Amino acid sequence: MHKALLLIIIPLLLYGFWLSAEFKGIAAGVSIFLFGMLSLEQGFKAFTGGVLERILQKTTDTPWKSFGFGFMSATLMQSSGLVSVITISFLSAGLLDLVAGIGIIFGSNLGTTTGAWLIAGLGLKVNIATYAMPLLVFGVLCIFQNGKQLKGIGYILTGLGFLLLGIHYMKESFEYFESTINLAEYAMPGVKGLLIYTAIGIIATVIMQSSHATMLLTITAVSVHQITYDNALALVIGANIGTTVTAIIASFGANIQGKRLAGSHLFINLLTGIFVLIFVKQFGIAVDIVSANLGIAASDNAMKLATFHSLFNLAGIILFFPFINQQVLLLEKVFIEKRPAIFQPKYLDVSAMDFPETVVESVRLESIHLYENAIHIILHTFGLHKHDLQKSDSLQQLIEQNNQPIDYDIDASYDKRIKGIYSAIIAFISQAGFTWEMTQSAKLSWLREANKHLVEAIKDTKHLQKNWIRFSTSTNQAAINEYNKIAYQIVLHIQQIENFRHEIEGNELPLLSLDALKATIKNDDMQMNRAIEALIREQKITPETGSSLINDSAYMRNIKKNLLKAAETLFLHSSTGNAGVEQQLSLNETEINDVVHTVDTQ
Amino acid sequence: MKIEKLLHKLQAFFDADKRKKRQHIEELKKILLKLKKKERKITHALEQTDEDCLIKHYQTELEIIRVQRKKGIEVLQQLKERKKLNSPNTPSPRIVPADN
Repeated sequence: MHKALLLIIIPLLLYGFWLSAEFKGIAAGVSIFLFGMLSLEQGFKAFTGGVLERILQKTTDTPWKSFGFGFMSATLMQSSGLVSVITISFLSAGLLDLVAGIGIIFGSNLGTTTGAWLIAGLGLKVNIATYAMPLLVFGVLCIFQNGKQLKGIGYILTGLGFLLLGIHYMKESFEYFESTINLAEYAMPGVKGLLIYTAIGIIATVIMQSSHATMLLTITAVSVHQITYDNALALVIGANIGTTVTAIIASFGANIQGKRLAGSHLFINLLTGIFVLIFVKQFGIAVDIVSANLGIAASDNAMKLATFHSLFNLAGIILFFPFINQQVLLLEKVFIEKRPAIFQPKYLDVSAMDFPETVVESVRLESIHLYENAIHIILHTFGLHKHDLQKSDSLQQLIEQNNQPIDYDIDASYDKRIKGIYSAIIAFISQAGFTWEMTQSAKLSWLREANKHLVEAIKDTKHLQKNWIRFSTSTNQAAINEYNKIAYQIVLHIQQIENFRHEIEGNELPLLSLDALKATIKNDDMQMNRAIEALIREQKITPETGSSLINDSAYMRNIKKNLLKAAETLFLHSSTGNAGVEQQLSLNETEINDVVHTVDTQ
Repeated sequence: MKIEKLLHKLQAFFDADKRKKRQHIEELKKILLKLKKKERKITHALEQTDEDCLIKHYQTELEIIRVQRKKGIEVLQQLKERKKLNSPNTPSPRIVPADN
C-alpha cells in the first residue's frame, strides 16, 4: 500500500518540479519541516526511559492532570503524533489507564494548536530563518557529543531549526508562487468546497503524517491569498481528522488498550470535525469575535485560522471531555479483547486439599501437563512436533529439512501454554504448603523446582532462537551446521527423555538410564566446545560467530539439564520394583566424569 | 516353654534376613541380565547408525552400562561371599589346642 502510494507520489512530484521552481521550494519546505519533526521526535526519545516516565506517572492520576500533561507535552514537542505514540506505548506497557490516556489525547489536541499560532504569529511575520541558523549550529554541535542526553538536546535544537527553516522556505516559495499561479481560482464555495477541502486536508495529513505540515501549508497559502479563508477552514478540519493516522499506525503494534486509545483519538477528532462542519458558519462568527478581542486584524486570515484551530479543538474538549468514562465503556465494547485460548490446569482441584497425597499427585500430573507444553514449545521452535519424534526417519534429516526458521513467537506461546498452568500450580502449592507434615511439603517443593526447570528451559530456548534464526540465513555453512547440531542434540535429548519415560513404564532400569543421559549432556557440551574452537582456529567461522556459538551451546546444555531434572522428578515417582538395587549401581558424579573422559579418548 | 518360643522367633528373624539377602542377590542378577540385554541392543543400534552424534551417544551409553555392570558384579560377589560366610554348612574354624 505504502509502496503503491510512493509510485504515484514520486512521478507527481517530479512533474511538479519540472513544471515550477516554486513548487520545488514548497515541497522542499515541507520536507525540511518534516525532517525537523523527525529530529524533534528523535531528541525527545533520548529522554524517555527515565525522566518522561517519572513525569508521566506523577502527572496523570486524574483526567484533568492528564489533560494538562497532554497539553504541555504537545506544546513543548510540537507534535501531537509523538505524544499519542508515546501515550500508546505507555498504555500498552500498563503504565497508564485508558482514562488517563484519553485525557492526554484531549490535552495534546489543544496543545498542538500552539503550532498554528507559532506559524501564523511568528513564522509569517518575522524572518525566522535567522533564528533557525544558530539552532542548527548548536544542535549539530550537541549531536556530535557522546552523552545520550546531550545528543537528545542536539536533536531537539536541530529539529526546531529545521522546523523554522521549513516554514521560511514555504513562505518564500508561496510568495513567488503568488505572482505566477493563483490557486484561489480553484476555490470552491459552499458545502461542496467544505467537504472536498476537508478530504484534501485529511489526505495531505495522512501522506505527510503531520497536521503541522498541513497547517503550515494552509496558513501560508491563506496568508498570500492562494486559497480562500473558507476552504482553509475546511483544510484545518481535515488536518485535525487526518492527524489521528499517526496514532492508528502506532496502535497496530500495540495491545488492545493502545488500539482503544487510537480509536478514541479518531472518535474525538472525527466527531468534533463533523460538529464543526455542521456549525462552520457559527464558528466563523465566533472566530471573528475572539480575534477582534485578541486584537487580530479582520484581514489577518492566518491568525484567524490559528484562532479557529484552537476554538475547534476547544469545542471538542467541551463536547467530549466530560464523558471520558462513557467513552471508555464504549471503547471496551467496540474493541473487544481477543484473549488467546490460554491453557488451563486440568488436574488441580480445590476439593483435593484435604488429602495431602492427592494434592501431591494432582500437582505431579499438572506438572507433567506443563512438561508436555514445554516440550511442544521447544520442538516447535525448531520446526518439529512431538509426533516427529516417533517417526522412523533420522532426526538429523528432519532437522536439516526444517532448517528454515519458522516465525514462532515463544513469548506468545509461553503466555498461552505455560503461564496459566504454571501460575495455577504455584498458587495451588502455596495454598496447600502450610498445613502439612514434612513428607508432602518436601515432595511439593521438588515439584515446584521441576516446574521452575521447565520454565528455565523455555527461557533458554528463547535466547537460543534469536541466533538460530539469524544464522539459519547466514552464508557460513560451518555456522549453519553447528546450529543444526545444537537443534539436533536438543531434539535428540527430548527423544531420549521420552524413551526414559517408556523405560519407567516397562520397568527397564530407568534410574540407570539417567546416568547415560547425564553423561551425554557433558559429552555433547565438551564435543561442541571443542568443535567451535577448531572452527575458529581453522578460520571457518569468525571469533564473533564462535562466541555466539559458545553462548548458545551453553543454552543448549542448560535446556537439556533443566529438562532432565524436571523429568527425573516428574516421571521417576511412579518407578517401582528394583529402585533400591538400581540405586546401588547408579554412578556418582566422579564415575560419570570418568566415563565421559573414557569415551572422549576412544 | 518361654525359651522355646523365643528361639522360634529368633530363627524366623534370621531366616527373614537370609531371605532378604537371597532376594537382593536375585534382583541384582536380574538387573545385570537386563543390563546385558540393553548392552546388546545398543551395540546393535551402534552398528546400524552412521550419524556422528548418535555414535557418540551410543558409545557413552555402552560405557555407562559397562561401568554399571562392573559395579553390579562387584556387589554381587561381595553378597555371595557374605552369604557363604554366614552359611551353616561352612565349616567353622577348628580350635586347635596350643602345644604346651
